[in-house]
Amino acid sequence: MNFFFYTFILAVAVLLFLLTWSFRVPKRRRASSLDPAVSLQGPDRSHATYLPQIQRALAPADFEFLASRASAKLTSRVRKERRRIALIYLSAVQEDFQRLLRLARVIAVLSPEVSTAQESERLRLNVQFTLRCQMIRLRLLCGIATLPQLSGLSQMVSGFAVRMETAITELGERAALATELASPLERRGVGLS
Amino acid sequence: MAAIALFQQALWALNSAGEVVLLTLLVVRKNYRSYPAFSFYLLVDFTMGSTVFFVYRLWGFDSATAYRIAWGTQGMVLFARALAVAEVCRHLLSRYRGVWALTWRILLLCAAVVLSYSILAARHDWKLALLTADRGLGLSIATVIVVLLLFARYYDVKVDPVVRSLAIGFCLYSCFVVLNNTVLERWLHDYSALWNLLGMLAFLASLSIWTGALRHSQSEAQPKEILLPSGIYRVIAPEINLRLRLFNEQLTRFWKVEAGRS
Repeated sequence: MNFFFYTFILAVAVLLFLLTWSFRVPKRRRASSLDPAVSLQGPDRSHATYLPQIQRALAPADFEFLASRASAKLTSRVRKERRRIALIYLSAVQEDFQRLLRLARVIAVLSPEVSTAQESERLRLNVQFTLRCQMIRLRLLCGIATLPQLSGLSQMVSGFAVRMETAITELGERAALATELASPLERRGVGLS
Repeated sequence: MAAIALFQQALWALNSAGEVVLLTLLVVRKNYRSYPAFSFYLLVDFTMGSTVFFVYRLWGFDSATAYRIAWGTQGMVLFARALAVAEVCRHLLSRYRGVWALTWRILLLCAAVVLSYSILAARHDWKLALLTADRGLGLSIATVIVVLLLFARYYDVKVDPVVRSLAIGFCLYSCFVVLNNTVLERWLHDYSALWNLLGMLAFLASLSIWTGALRHSQSEAQPKEILLPSGIYRVIAPEINLRLRLFNEQLTRFWKVEAGRS
């Protein structure tokens, strides 16, 4: 009976914590509207622009060359700088991932029907990705991770961003068309959706 | 004990007065049009409270008849509360048809699971059956509201301040009911005097939250969201998920390489 007694107390504590948390405004809350085009915009896109420089900064050959010629102090300083770059880069990659998720959520919210399978898969992927990013960040902070594979991630995100941009333009045009079609019909008391 | 009884009666009167004030506000500001189930809940609670008051005066607080009537009316109040909570859920998400269709099924499932657990965890003492049902429904309502708000947060849906206040009031009161009944079940005799008193205090707190939220008129009709053609979701959602999956796989490979090196 003790077990059940404590589970009820714990359940209430968890519910109250989640209630408070659900009202906390997220750090990067998107502007306001449920506009698909808005959700893909923002300063985050700049990270793809700096891809060549990031790749260069993270190239292992440069570091090996420096390690063989320069002093230990300089090598250590460069290692720290590279780690710092890698961490910033990881955050940028994470932001890109979050932007995609945001876009998917906006489309889901504005869609007349959604698939449970797609939504639950996206939730699972989000949890998985966030956990892995935190693990990698931890490894980078502890200095037990090397850097080159991060650029692979970035290329993938950048390529996708371009494709999504095209899709969003198309989406915006179709949404505008749907609005135009809906307006005169709704004025006559006929709903489209 | 006499002091508690006196305070309890005063609180009873205060709660009833609070309900009358809120019901009047709902009528005067015409908010009952936007929140019919919530208005119905308050009306039922007020009527049942008054009934129980007269029943206690007629048969006495400890009589079996009064006990049966009091818990019987509680069943109706719980039903009305469940309707009001359903209305809060509908107000928050029903504009978004696709997400709403997904959400209400999950909310029902959550409520059913939590209720089953509460029944399973009960002492199976027929004297405590109503108490157990009350606690189970309280926990279900609190869970439904929290899951609903988590959905709203996940999908970045703006929560209307009135709906938020109604949800908070119901959730806090339901959480308190669960705690109160759980403690009562364990320390039945020592706690019974305080149980009713604390329950009324919790209800008064929720009543204050609701009154604060509904003191102004609310617009009856919610702005209608213009939805996208359904084909867009069918095309884009799998595409996004595929990319996210590839993204994750890339990260997994990176993680494995790093783990292998260290």
